[in-house]
Amino acid sequence: MPMKKILKYGLLVVIVALLGYNSVYIKKLSDVNASKGAQFNAAGFAAQLWNEKLPAKSDSAVAISVLKGAIDDDAGAAFDKYTNALAIGNYRYALVKGIAVIDAITADDLKITIQSAAPFKATVAMEFIYGNALRDASGLVNLQEFPNTSDLNSISEELNKIVRQKIIPAARPMLKPGAKIEFTGAVELNKEHIHFDDVEIIPISIKPVS
Amino acid sequence: MAAIHYKQRIKSLQSLIALLLLCIVLTILTDKFFTADNGLNVLRQTAVNICIATGMTLVVLTAGIDLSVGSVLALCGAIAAGLLKNGIALQATDTYIGFTILGVILVAIIVGAVLGWFNGFVITKFNVPPFVATLAMLTIARGFTMLYTKGQPISNLGAKFAFIGAGSFLGIPVPVWIALAVVLIAAFITRQTRLGRYIYAIGGNETAARFSGINISAVKMIVYALAGAMAAIGGIIVTSRLDSAQPNAGSSYELDAIAAVVIGGTSLSGGRGTIWGTVMGAIIIGVLNNGLVLLNVSPFWQQVVKGAVILLAVIIDKLDKKD
Repeated sequence: MPMKKILKYGLLVVIVALLGYNSVYIKKLSDVNASKGAQFNAAGFAAQLWNEKLPAKSDSAVAISVLKGAIDDDAGAAFDKYTNALAIGNYRYALVKGIAVIDAITADDLKITIQSAAPFKATVAMEFIYGNALRDASGLVNLQEFPNTSDLNSISEELNKIVRQKIIPAARPMLKPGAKIEFTGAVELNKEHIHFDDVEIIPISIKPVS
Repeated sequence: MAAIHYKQRIKSLQSLIALLLLCIVLTILTDKFFTADNGLNVLRQTAVNICIATGMTLVVLTAGIDLSVGSVLALCGAIAAGLLKNGIALQATDTYIGFTILGVILVAIIVGAVLGWFNGFVITKFNVPPFVATLAMLTIARGFTMLYTKGQPISNLGAKFAFIGAGSFLGIPVPVWIALAVVLIAAFITRQTRLGRYIYAIGGNETAARFSGINISAVKMIVYALAGAMAAIGGIIVTSRLDSAQPNAGSSYELDAIAAVVIGGTSLSGGRGTIWGTVMGAIIIGVLNNGLVLLNVSPFWQQVVKGAVILLAVIIDKLDKKD
């Protein structure tokens, strides 16, 4: 093999080895798991929030038809009175409740018609539970108490997980098209582009009512 | 002769002229547009599209198309986030393989390149039209992203990783530096290397290129691999900016990339175009998006305007060809 090729491939091996050395590290899995214990316990925080603080807040949630009416009358005042947000921007979040009839059940959501003087359509998310709606609508998380956004985001992640793993599986067998349900949940609304029809509700509780 | 030369000169600068005109109009219409902060904001937002569109330009120059870049971006971003956050845990041997930021960047780029290479392999070895092969990859990569993330975002990636998407160096956002590096590499490839000449030759006339002894398959596979790698770089920036890998990230990014390529003057039939034209195209789209937001134009109208601009660019390209 000519010298030039040996140098070329040698250099390549050195570069790959250097990159590899600086790319991965190996530790004992037990040590890594132990060190994780000292980190912010988002799951514990979310569970405590869900079990101890959220029920009271849910009881005082605004009826979704009242919120819609208030926004139709005076959006600014309605957003101030009924909604919360941790961040600046147009997105506001509200805890809502209501009674609705199930129009259809899809793999991803429930299509419902809210019962009110002027019934309107909405959607209850059943599969893809994302975002900060639950955390922010609750108004129970104070931005100042967290040193970083990662911890804040992990609270949303854990709250959404509770909905996915506990609330929806428990509710799903009881739901049928045409059935009447009572629900509490969180909604995200854009102050600048208010589209209340077919608003998506992240459920906190769904119960059939007779 | 001088008139023809002058006309060609104008043609080569048409993207830049369009950008300047757009900036002048927006400066007149809103005082929020022509500020340093807004300029940096536009560049930061455009950086991802520049990365993807640069790779797309290489593909389009060979008369191909890559519809999978958005999904490849999402998958590579998700893999980077997953490895950075969770590493690889080997329960049986009580071993944890952790990845540094450099490590996850390398893995993401390699995954992107392999997916791109696979596109090229399918296109050249099985003679599948690029539109179909990359459309299939669009779905496959999105499916793998959903499987890898279990449909959930992977968040909390740490401040150091966030620096890639949200940090600044010498007052310029880091994504802009990354996009600049990608563009310089692609410009070097197209202008200074044999591969670049082959890319133009294949796009110009594939049959002639084959008879000239160019290994068409190898060149195309490299080109698609480069496009995949550049989409992966875009994925790292997006994931870092959001401090989260979203399973639905990058949806329809391929359309913005194709738009940047077309507006930048690259011919969709291949063989004609430049990387710098694409950069101009991407910035025009970025400025247009930014300007329409500053002017409080409804997002629905923004889509209509963007589509009209793309259509106009294609028509101009067709008229150019007639000339």
